Amino acid sequence: MSMEATRLEQLGPISSAAPKAPAPRTVPRNWSHLLLLTPNLIWIGLFMAGALVVLATMSFRGYEAGGRGILRTWELTHYAAFLGDPFYRDILWRSLGMAVQVTLWCLILGFPLAYMLSRLRGWSRALLYFTILMPLLTSAVVRTFGWMILLSNNGFLNKTLISLGLTEAPIPMMYRMTGIVIALVEVLLPFMVLALDAALLNIDRQLYDAARNLGAGATRIFLLITLPLSLPGIISGSLLVFVLAISAFVTPALIGGPRIPVISTLIHQQGIALLNWPFGAAISFVMLFTLLVLLAVTLSLAAKAEGRAR
Amino acid sequence: MILTFVNALILLFLTAPIIVVVATAFTTTGYPVFPPQGFTLKWFERFLAMPEFTEAVRRSAMLALASTAIAAVLGTFSALALARWQGRGQKAVAALMLSPILFPAIVLGLALLVFYSQIGLAGSFNGLIIAHSLITTPFVIRLVMASLSEFDPALEEAARNLGAGWWRTFLQITLPLIRPGVLAGAVFAFILSFDELVVTLFLAGPGMATLPVRIYTYVEYSSTPTISAISTTLILAWVLIGVPVYVRFLSIKHV
Repeated sequence: MSMEATRLEQLGPISSAAPKAPAPRTVPRNWSHLLLLTPNLIWIGLFMAGALVVLATMSFRGYEAGGRGILRTWELTHYAAFLGDPFYRDILWRSLGMAVQVTLWCLILGFPLAYMLSRLRGWSRALLYFTILMPLLTSAVVRTFGWMILLSNNGFLNKTLISLGLTEAPIPMMYRMTGIVIALVEVLLPFMVLALDAALLNIDRQLYDAARNLGAGATRIFLLITLPLSLPGIISGSLLVFVLAISAFVTPALIGGPRIPVISTLIHQQGIALLNWPFGAAISFVMLFTLLVLLAVTLSLAAKAEGRAR
Repeated sequence: MILTFVNALILLFLTAPIIVVVATAFTTTGYPVFPPQGFTLKWFERFLAMPEFTEAVRRSAMLALASTAIAAVLGTFSALALARWQGRGQKAVAALMLSPILFPAIVLGLALLVFYSQIGLAGSFNGLIIAHSLITTPFVIRLVMASLSEFDPALEEAARNLGAGWWRTFLQITLPLIRPGVLAGAVFAFILSFDELVVTLFLAGPGMATLPVRIYTYVEYSSTPTISAISTTLILAWVLIGVPVYVRFLSIKHV
């Protein structure tokens, strides 16, 4: 609490005890906080909330391709067109499937890394932390470009696989879902590690000592202590990676190309190439709604699981 | 032991594309191959000789500077308020202010494109600055809040009791103490803005392509080691800027 508020509280009873004094100022306790928050609230309210309201309105506007463009009518045609057409529904399912795969792989690869990170201290921890963080400082375009070089049919990965005798012919990964998932897992892995690390750091070390003294083996300790207690990190990391995967644009656009459309490349195509803003807006809201439902379900399941654990 | 080995492999996977991009910047072949053949610096020379790229670097830097200035002010103010406010509603406001981190950039891009076309900001540089500040402010908030968690409010109270006003207390006590957080937040915001592609792709008017947009449109249709050279330069710049700030931030945080 700020000094200002404390002083006003102390002044309060005195001024009300002496009615002749100027009327007590009923300044809300948090006025200085609110003042500091105002610029950012206005900024977000105007440009983010404002833009989203405009986009929501746009999603109900009519559209005439090639002719008059965006019409000043109110209709649900774009939502109906998206949900009624199996072509578009497939794109939605493909995006969800891609995000699930990416999230699972990030969990599998992120857990060992986060586990090691959480057990290190001092400069060795700082060094590993920076190595994990550094890819985040490299733009997704650059890292995707690196993957394009690695994943092509005569790229390093396929050449290695062939020279090792693991495959006869190159495995196509460019312009395939396989390639998108490999690259996206790499792009999003740091987020998962950071979330898991935060949860693992919170586990009391004495729990491990106690379990070991009571005769528990490494596997039991992992299954009964590490895994359940890192659940908050698993949930928050998975949600973060899932949302970032489904809205990722650069990697699916460059590695999948037009052959593997996902929801984000579809929105980009409608908004930029075809200028069908109402349809792009409707797809955006279908995507936001899907994400909201998934978030709500996951969070309520997590809350239930936590309740049962207590 | 097994864990260390597994983790070495995972770290290799994590850094693989970066290693590849840096390595292919020096290849003598006309297209990027890994492992690279020979050694040459001609792709760096070619990058510096291409005005479409050097011009884009300048534009990206200006955009990142301007949006970081906004984000640093908005983010520091918000973090100061959020860290001290313990009343009801703190969590909701914090979630709202951090929400751009999770909000799909592709939707924000389209929303701002439609919105700007109605308020006359379409294709303008100011529109880009605003969009980038929206995206980067939450990261400043997070890093400043992290440095505030070690902050002893008694120091501020002492200053106030000694007669310093709000503004003087802020400038002479609060700001010096949270400076590593503000600096780390600003540097992170700058890098994020410099690298931002998706929203920029929607909003950049003709002749306003930033460096990531140039790289993206180039990579979409062709593959040349020049792109590797540009990317290597960027990676090197970020490491040189990022490491000192990161070390300073860590030494304050006592991780």
